[in-house]
Amino acid sequence: MAPATPAADDSHQQLLDSLDLIPVPKPFRNPNWNPPVRRNKNVKQIVADASRKEASVMATQNNSGVSTPQPGAGGGPDNVSVARATQNLSGLAVSDGPVATYTNIESAPSLHPASQKRYCDLTGLLAPYTDPKTRLRYHNKEIFGVVRTLGQGAAEQYLEARGAHVVLK
Amino acid sequence: MTQLNGTITPAPSGRNTPKPAPRIWSVSDPLFRGSRAPPRQVSIQPPAQQPGPDAAIIIDNGSWQTKAGWSFDKTPRLTSPPLMSRYRDRKIGRTLCFVGSDIYADATTRGQSKYAFDPGSSIVGNWDVMEGILDNIFLKLGVDGADGGVGRPIVMTEPVANLGYSQKTMTEIIFECYSAPSLAYGIDSLFSYDYNKGSTGLVVSSAHTSTHIIPVVDNRALLTQATRLNWGGYQNADYLMKLLRLKYPTFPGKLNDTQVEEILREHCYISQDYERELSSYLEWTGLEERNHVVQFPFSEQAVVEKSPEELARMAEKRKESGRRLQEQAAKMRLEKLIRKEQELEYYKSLQQRITTETKKETKRLLDAEDFKDEIALDRRIRELDKSVRKARTKDVGGTENEEDEEPPTFPLLDVPDEELDEAGLKQKRHQRLMKSNHEARQRAKAEKEREKARIAEEERLDEERRDKDLEGWLDERRTARSTILQRIKDRERLKADLGNRKSLASQMRMKNIANLASDTPGRKRRRGGAAAGGDDDTFGANDEDWGVYRQIATGEGSDDEDEEDMDTTLKNLEAQLLKYDPNFTEEHTLAAQSDWSKSLVHAFLRGPWPFNPESQREINQIHLNVERIRVPEVVFQPSIAGLDQAGLVEIASNIITQRLPNPVHRESILKDVFLTGGNTLFKGFEDRLRTELRAVLPAGAPLAVRSAKDPIYDAWKGAAQWAGTQRWKDARVTREEYLEKGPEYLKEHNLGNAYAG
Repeated sequence: MAPATPAADDSHQQLLDSLDLIPVPKPFRNPNWNPPVRRNKNVKQIVADASRKEASVMATQNNSGVSTPQPGAGGGPDNVSVARATQNLSGLAVSDGPVATYTNIESAPSLHPASQKRYCDLTGLLAPYTDPKTRLRYHNKEIFGVVRTLGQGAAEQYLEARGAHVVLK
Repeated sequence: MTQLNGTITPAPSGRNTPKPAPRIWSVSDPLFRGSRAPPRQVSIQPPAQQPGPDAAIIIDNGSWQTKAGWSFDKTPRLTSPPLMSRYRDRKIGRTLCFVGSDIYADATTRGQSKYAFDPGSSIVGNWDVMEGILDNIFLKLGVDGADGGVGRPIVMTEPVANLGYSQKTMTEIIFECYSAPSLAYGIDSLFSYDYNKGSTGLVVSSAHTSTHIIPVVDNRALLTQATRLNWGGYQNADYLMKLLRLKYPTFPGKLNDTQVEEILREHCYISQDYERELSSYLEWTGLEERNHVVQFPFSEQAVVEKSPEELARMAEKRKESGRRLQEQAAKMRLEKLIRKEQELEYYKSLQQRITTETKKETKRLLDAEDFKDEIALDRRIRELDKSVRKARTKDVGGTENEEDEEPPTFPLLDVPDEELDEAGLKQKRHQRLMKSNHEARQRAKAEKEREKARIAEEERLDEERRDKDLEGWLDERRTARSTILQRIKDRERLKADLGNRKSLASQMRMKNIANLASDTPGRKRRRGGAAAGGDDDTFGANDEDWGVYRQIATGEGSDDEDEEDMDTTLKNLEAQLLKYDPNFTEEHTLAAQSDWSKSLVHAFLRGPWPFNPESQREINQIHLNVERIRVPEVVFQPSIAGLDQAGLVEIASNIITQRLPNPVHRESILKDVFLTGGNTLFKGFEDRLRTELRAVLPAGAPLAVRSAKDPIYDAWKGAAQWAGTQRWKDARVTREEYLEKGPEYLKEHNLGNAYAG
């Protein structure tokens, strides 16, 4: 490979240097800020964590206070009552009424008959037929010819685009 | 298309008229916006405006673009994709960091870029990237950080029903890392609605990662009635990408996300009547309008185009040199001829002399000329005579007349061996060979004659039959044609079957291969060949044995000969049928039936234009047709893309007709159906929603649908307008409150999320 001209090389490096944010002082940042490790979570993890926490809160609530009274509990009675009070509060907040959460505002599956329409997996046209072998929907005889000559795995990819593929777990 | 011209009446669809040359769109790579030196250490006061202490930093934290600016700005100062690329350059031994559109500076920066959100959602998934984006915002807005923090209130958008963890983490970062004096969250679509002066209505926000439908009554969002459809611009682009990859599995170019997003923006639209439009989308008439051609960059293979003059000159040159060669050859032939003639003369004179000389003298003369005896001389003379004649006829151009020639004699063959000496025996052997040769030639000639006669006779008979019984003759031709068609079909099916590992054809093939490879011949061969066992392998003794290789060979050109043979026979038959069968027209020929202009698949892949698989230009083209309406349609029919959720209209009508807690608001909500978000920018979105809603609502219900003035930026503008008002002051969480009540503390307000616990 021919070496790039030094001038061109330099100018690009200069451009990168001018864009680079590392050497720019950021006085507005707290120098003592220590982000928690493993703070990056995806939605699935966050939702799972939240529901687990909720379940455990419910469990402690059911296990303590009203259902199993502990007369004369030692230690710091003040602390206990404060903890119990917050638990009751959070319980109240939950049972207060329906609250919009990330998961419960998701739209439910359609009940409308119109959503049963079938479209050709290859062309997107209306599909009156289904190939029993590949399970692909197709528009006419010509498309069927194409369906039958699809390469290995292509049919599955078409199904995946429609969300009808087989998922091995 | 042109081959049909003139022979048949034009098809009603106007298939005969060639389509005008396609209009070609192009795609662009993500633009690097150039180097704008970030304002370093710029004073917090921008020159034109004097922001008071309440001038807030507004951040619309979108998953497609981060929009940020001061609350007194008319439009956001900074819009950039939420991307960051931080990597260590080993060559210079330094860590580099680029944020936003700066990551498009070169291939490395681009390749290292990371996305701030969990893909397909508007929930932050990578907080390091998020911090980088915030750093970049504050730097570009010129925050000087005099007091060791950002020093200005922050207003930020968040998704509807944001997850507690995301909200908490963001709050922590804003207060702990950037030490902001206050923070307020709001929902982007509600900001947009507020900016567009809405108070009671149905907010339909179709954005990058999701579509939300939120009823708003008296400026207050009914979040418990809000519904999210997990489909937005991101999913559209993803779906289009999948479709294009499947449509052109061998596409040589590289499709990247930004290009697909651009295609989506430029070419897709919402169909007003999806099924009706779909049913005629690939029809020939007007297909050139519906089919958009997108050209990807390509490099044409260099084909040196020669001008006609050049071609003519080259042909002339070739002819010239050919002529020279011919002349030379003719000259040489002539010289040879002359030499031979001279020799012939000489030998003839010698022969003459011999007849008059004594035997001894004859012997001497012959010895001097290296002849054994007179017979040899005689033969030589005859040979020369023959070759001279041949050469003469060739030069004259006449044909060699072999019939004239007297049949060669083989006198020695009748002489018994005992009477011959060594030389005689040798000659006899030679003559025997010559004789058999001669006879073979004669036989071949006779065979040829017979064949010719047979064909002539057959043709005669055929014609006779045709004259007598045209219908029967035609029937024969038709059956022959259909047999060939069937064979072609069978062959194709076999080919297809061989692609499937489990098919019978494949299994037979594997068995054959195994048999051929094994040392001990399999049952099959033993049964077919001679019954002898052991090492007595008779494979190949029978010519048909080799057919097994033909059977096992698949792939390209396995049956080329056979294929060509069938094709020519079919062509001949079709030509005959065309000539004599009035019912058989050009349209019925296989060629016409497999004509590309009738093919739906061709229309789908290549539009109404012919396709040349050799052309790099055409290989690198993407033809968009059904996709143009198929992809944006998913919001209305999520089942198209396999999303098991109700469509936009079903959700909206469900909310309006059933889920409203207080039906008295129904009419006022219907009077203001408000569209915002980048995904509603498709042409026809508003009209389609209006017609479909009208269809599901009770007759006479009032309905008004409107779009945001700027579906993308109005959320930021709304937030900027909201900051500084009393409503904002009531809704923000100050640093003191944060320190006292923790990161999960949130004040509920009309434009924000509710506290979820």
